[in-house]
Amino acid sequence: MKIHNMFQDTKITESSYSLLWYSAIVMLLLSVIVPYFYAVTVAIRPAEYLFGKSYVIWIPPEFTLEHLKDGFDLVKASLINSTLIGTGVAVLSLIITIPASYIFGRKEFPGKSIAFFAVIFALMFPYILLIVPISEMWIQYGLFNTLPGLWISYQVFVTPFAIWILKDFFADLPANLEEAAQVYGLTEFMAFVRVILPLSLPAIVAVGFLSFLTGWNDFLFSNMLTTGTGPRPATVVIYNKVVGTERPFWNLIISASLLVGLPPLVLYMVARHYLAEAFSTA
Amino acid sequence: MDNPEFTNRNKLRHRAGRIKSTIQEHWFAYLFLAPLLTYLIALLWVPFFQGIWMSFHNWPFFGPKTWVGFKNYNYIFSWAPFYASLKATFAYLSITVIQLALALIASLSLANLKLSSKLDSIVNGIFLIPYTMPPVVTGALWLLLLNPLYGPIFKPLLNLGILNEPFFWANNGTTAMAGIVAVGGWTFWPFMFLVIHAARESIPAEYYESAEMYGANKLQTFRHITFPQIKSAILVAVSIRVVWNLAKVSQPLQMTEGGPGYSTSMLAVLLYRFAFDRGQLGLAYIVGIVLFLISLLAVLIFLRANEE
Repeated sequence: MKIHNMFQDTKITESSYSLLWYSAIVMLLLSVIVPYFYAVTVAIRPAEYLFGKSYVIWIPPEFTLEHLKDGFDLVKASLINSTLIGTGVAVLSLIITIPASYIFGRKEFPGKSIAFFAVIFALMFPYILLIVPISEMWIQYGLFNTLPGLWISYQVFVTPFAIWILKDFFADLPANLEEAAQVYGLTEFMAFVRVILPLSLPAIVAVGFLSFLTGWNDFLFSNMLTTGTGPRPATVVIYNKVVGTERPFWNLIISASLLVGLPPLVLYMVARHYLAEAFSTA
Repeated sequence: MDNPEFTNRNKLRHRAGRIKSTIQEHWFAYLFLAPLLTYLIALLWVPFFQGIWMSFHNWPFFGPKTWVGFKNYNYIFSWAPFYASLKATFAYLSITVIQLALALIASLSLANLKLSSKLDSIVNGIFLIPYTMPPVVTGALWLLLLNPLYGPIFKPLLNLGILNEPFFWANNGTTAMAGIVAVGGWTFWPFMFLVIHAARESIPAEYYESAEMYGANKLQTFRHITFPQIKSAILVAVSIRVVWNLAKVSQPLQMTEGGPGYSTSMLAVLLYRFAFDRGQLGLAYIVGIVLFLISLLAVLIFLRANEE
């Protein structure tokens, strides 16, 4: 009898705990879904249903694609710049970080801990102060207002993060891969190219995505290092549309913003599995 | 009797030989690290010291530079808005607390609920959405939501008569700060969630089974199993977030333009305003040095805590 009661008690507390956990999750989900839902309806509603009515409309009675079209026209040219910036940042960061992460993950050599400390230090470095000397250096070297100038400067904060993730992936590959490859007559370098690289392709693609969207998402460096005539990315166009306008036309701004936010969202969803994996061994 | 000069030279030669053989033995590793080390030196350390050199000059974006010694430093440290900016910096850092709280709630709830892996993945994905987009995009989104005249938050309050007049929150230092803190917390918490939840998920289920066997309650289980296992992930996540939060410019700048006055110009925003609006790179870098020192201090504190 007593045992039976105890069992019921735990059951009650268990379910009240579950209720607590569920409501926390639901609240957090709503905090994301509700703002985005409203934003999407603003993007596809005629302007009068945002500005013209005295009450808030959540589901507009009419829809239009006009703002999305105008929004796309607004950022069209700059989206090409964003794509070029992101792609270059990703390629360059992979060139720097793949060999280095491989060494950090799988080789022992004198000076390793110092070198890795330098990477961690770079990860923790408040990179934005470097924008000051980099602006000056880029003007001097002719890199100001150019795509290569942006590709190089973004490495300041893309590279340490990429190494953090890739290093663990390389370290987790089976231990004797290289030795086995060398038994078959491959050199150390060829073992890396023919055995390790193909096995790591998914992780490399994921890190490439992350570097890409860092370049795509950033505002500060691209705003400082380009002018209106240069490779201005979409983030700068949106910023100027919001800040530089007396009466912002929100239907247009939100439409353009969602269009700019969608590609990194998709890439992140593809890459997130590797992020979680890297963080669990950090 | 050894000739000291001779032994020294011998030692030196010996050492040179050792370095040579180390390089010969590990040439592959050093070669593969070369691009990274080049980047670290050319893009981090050279600009870092170049900036210090610049801070002793009157250094405009374009045009002649003049040496001014410590005049820039005197100017910044006796300039009242600099202290407003310091205050704003520490106030803005409170977004780290919001980020940590949301990340912990999300991770612990998900871990306790044991949803099906598909549902779990969907919930995870939705949590990440704000973090994936450019901060300028999420900033624009919230500027609309928080619009004092026709945003969905304040419009009903006006209509119901709870507010007598439009609440222009960006025109008041305290509410402007509250606004950018709330939005910054909402935007960046998923990063902490990723780090902490990964650590939480890697705790073996057996730990919890044996805790249950010994009759531990929820609180005891958290204190003696979950917390020790995720503590180091929390410290890593918090220290990285503090440094990154200190460097946030675009979203707060877009939402309040650093104002009113300098009350939402955190050091990073102040640096931007000096460099971009006023074209004074020497002064901007001094703000950067202060930012660097604060970040360094924060990281050292967390490293210390992690060792304990």
